[in-house]
Amino acid sequence: MARYLAVRLYSMALTLVGLTVLIFLMLRLIPGTVVEQMIGADAIASPAMVEQLKRFFGLDQPWYVQYSRWVGHLVTGDLGTSWRTGKPVLSLILERLPVTIELTLFSVAFALVLGVAAGIVSAIRRDQAIDNVTRLSTLLGLSVPVFWQGTMLILFLSIYLRWMPPVVWVDFFADPRRNLTIMVLPAVCLGTAAAANVARTTRACMLDVLGSEYIRTAAAKGLASRAVVLKHALKNALIPIVTVAGLQMGILLGGTVVVEEVFTLPGIGRLVLWSIYQRDYPLTQSTILFIAVLFMAINLAVDVLYGILDPRIRYG
Amino acid sequence: MSTSHADHPRGLNRRDVLKAGGLALGVLAAPRAVHAQTPKPGGTLVSAQTTEATGLDPQLVPALSRSRRAPLMYSQLVRFDPDMTPRGELAESWHTSPDGLSWTFKLRQGVKFHDGQELTSADVKFTFDRLFDKSPGKSDFIAVDKVEPSGKYEVKFLTKEPFAGLLAALGGFWGFIISEAGIKKHGDLNKAALGTGPFMLEDWKVEQQMVFKRNPSFFRKGQPYVDSLVLRTIPDEANIVAALRTGQIHHAFIEDNKNFNLLKDEKTLTAYRSSRLGYDFLNINASRGPLKDVRVRQAISWAVDRAQIMRVAASGFGRLTAPATAPMKQWQLPEEAWMKYYKPDVDRAKKLMAEAGQANGFTVKLGVIPTFPTMVSGAPVVAAQLKRIGITAEIENVEYAVWIKRWLAKDFDMTMNTTPGYADPDTAFFRALHSTKGQNWNSWSVPDLDGLLEEGRRTLDQAKRKAIYDRVQIMILENVPHLWLFSADTIDFTQNTVKGFRQHPTTLLYGFDGAWIDRV
Repeated sequence: MARYLAVRLYSMALTLVGLTVLIFLMLRLIPGTVVEQMIGADAIASPAMVEQLKRFFGLDQPWYVQYSRWVGHLVTGDLGTSWRTGKPVLSLILERLPVTIELTLFSVAFALVLGVAAGIVSAIRRDQAIDNVTRLSTLLGLSVPVFWQGTMLILFLSIYLRWMPPVVWVDFFADPRRNLTIMVLPAVCLGTAAAANVARTTRACMLDVLGSEYIRTAAAKGLASRAVVLKHALKNALIPIVTVAGLQMGILLGGTVVVEEVFTLPGIGRLVLWSIYQRDYPLTQSTILFIAVLFMAINLAVDVLYGILDPRIRYG
Repeated sequence: MSTSHADHPRGLNRRDVLKAGGLALGVLAAPRAVHAQTPKPGGTLVSAQTTEATGLDPQLVPALSRSRRAPLMYSQLVRFDPDMTPRGELAESWHTSPDGLSWTFKLRQGVKFHDGQELTSADVKFTFDRLFDKSPGKSDFIAVDKVEPSGKYEVKFLTKEPFAGLLAALGGFWGFIISEAGIKKHGDLNKAALGTGPFMLEDWKVEQQMVFKRNPSFFRKGQPYVDSLVLRTIPDEANIVAALRTGQIHHAFIEDNKNFNLLKDEKTLTAYRSSRLGYDFLNINASRGPLKDVRVRQAISWAVDRAQIMRVAASGFGRLTAPATAPMKQWQLPEEAWMKYYKPDVDRAKKLMAEAGQANGFTVKLGVIPTFPTMVSGAPVVAAQLKRIGITAEIENVEYAVWIKRWLAKDFDMTMNTTPGYADPDTAFFRALHSTKGQNWNSWSVPDLDGLLEEGRRTLDQAKRKAIYDRVQIMILENVPHLWLFSADTIDFTQNTVKGFRQHPTTLLYGFDGAWIDRV
């Protein structure tokens, strides 16, 4: 296990190095810099002023100098300072991280509860009406774009029920009730596609397991069908489900960019989007890297979880 | 819903709508008589906008999102009323010397900055010294040589030549007075504010909200009426519409005029429509291929049906406009003088194309910034209309930062564009159109026009200036540096409980000083 972890951490480190180069270069490939953003269209900016601003942001130096300065700071744990807000990137991330984590967790919870339940029901009622409805719904759930679903939900609720989630953000610990009211719609939106994915995986795995001999044996022994399904079948179907859920978690982290924008939640997703528009390189670079590390950590955790779920899996 | 035409100089009447081929005849209610009510102080007013400010320094940040917020925290020496007449704000009065080279402003006494310091002529000097040194806004004050105090409450603007545009510049986007103490304390004023305006910045969470509290020592006694003001950033206007409907916000300025139709029947909301100083236009780069030929540009102008573009881009809520827009009342040309240039005439356009040797047409790129709704919906209409005379306009979506980069480099064939407008014809035309001394975004040159623009700048006599700018406008219409497409109305909605709000033709947030909430 220790060896496995060491290998995984080593490969993670390598990936991260590659990622820093990729993020850094991709950002610079987008035309336009913070300087043009600051000057705007209507202004008279002398070339001297443009040069002065470029110097101020270090944009006059060759890319490898800029890159090594960023990485040099990263190594010491300094994520840099945001150009447009003047605040340390780390403090901006930490300020907004709870929102994104809460949103992701709620979405995963929603996806698991709905997806696993729907998948089980669908599998044991194979080819019956409820199975067909579930399969069609999962197809829909996977196909509907998150931004459209979010906007439609808000429009529908505001027109017909005269209700929408409060527009002013409240922290969970300050007012849990209000916080949950704000979170319900975004979590449902973000979790819909994941729920559909989980439901399909659950159904497929359950069908596979339900057809196996030990299930028939368990049923033949006279076990209640409830026990057969939940205890014997589901437990063995869990590994692919956990894999899917783990992967979904990463996808959901990325999905928060859209959902946070649609629902105006002050999370990391909106921070990244804003920083890209503003060409706030330090903020974009370090935040994307941060999300990547989070994503890798989740993947690692999922892999470690396999061993716990299935003692036959050994890491060597 | 009730509709207020508070600052609509002429109102958008049935005739205009018909002329513009407009829709929506039914949506315009008659102006409601306004009964004077005594403002009730207190409460928190919540307003929402789609765009966050990129920074707040009134001298360093040119973005309109900054200019819009500036009047909350800062005041100008001169401010333009909603009918665009200049009125003393921090200046009580002013006069010019006989040679027109010196303007003396008498300052209002007892005005306090947010930190309690009194405003004096030294602050005015500091403001303009910093502006001339650091700010892209110095171009508004190009003819000003220096600013000198001539007493504790008196300040002189000395100009290199008579400068008729000074008042407009002082009341424009770059005329906000700052304090030296603010700069000393904060370095720049991008994240903090220290002015003499009606509100003090209390908290700013980027991309979430700005919270302002009332400035108790604001020089207009009693104002502002609300205790605090919250500006929420809600990037998707659909959510702003929903928030208005559900009563979560008190006010919003609607950027996409199509949304007017979604809210017009709400009983709890009041709509405000007024004419805008700004306008949408179509830039043509006169240094590119066939576009160099004035006949081709004229052909484009005759081929384009502006009323149709306005119907699509602004849901018909707006008006066609001469180079001087409706709020620039004293500079307006009589309608018959300019409207005749806007009557689409495809045959004439084709003839001009043939004369220019372009009978077979050509292909150009037409730039659009995807986050500007009027550009996005207007561009396909322009392209379809140009197709009729053989010009293929390939629409190119260009993200804002990239668009600005190309704009500054004048690297475009044609582009959709929009501007908040200018109060004075000098700022409106000189910078954009003078071929050598201005920015000359369209890379064109009409020497006679250059001469007129210089003369207009030097001429202080109102009647003579008017005659000059009448000629300037006609010359512009005939030589087509860019096409004035339309001036969309500004549309605001407030909850019915909000009284005293007034939108400004510049869309700067002057309107909250006098706003109050009934039933606090």
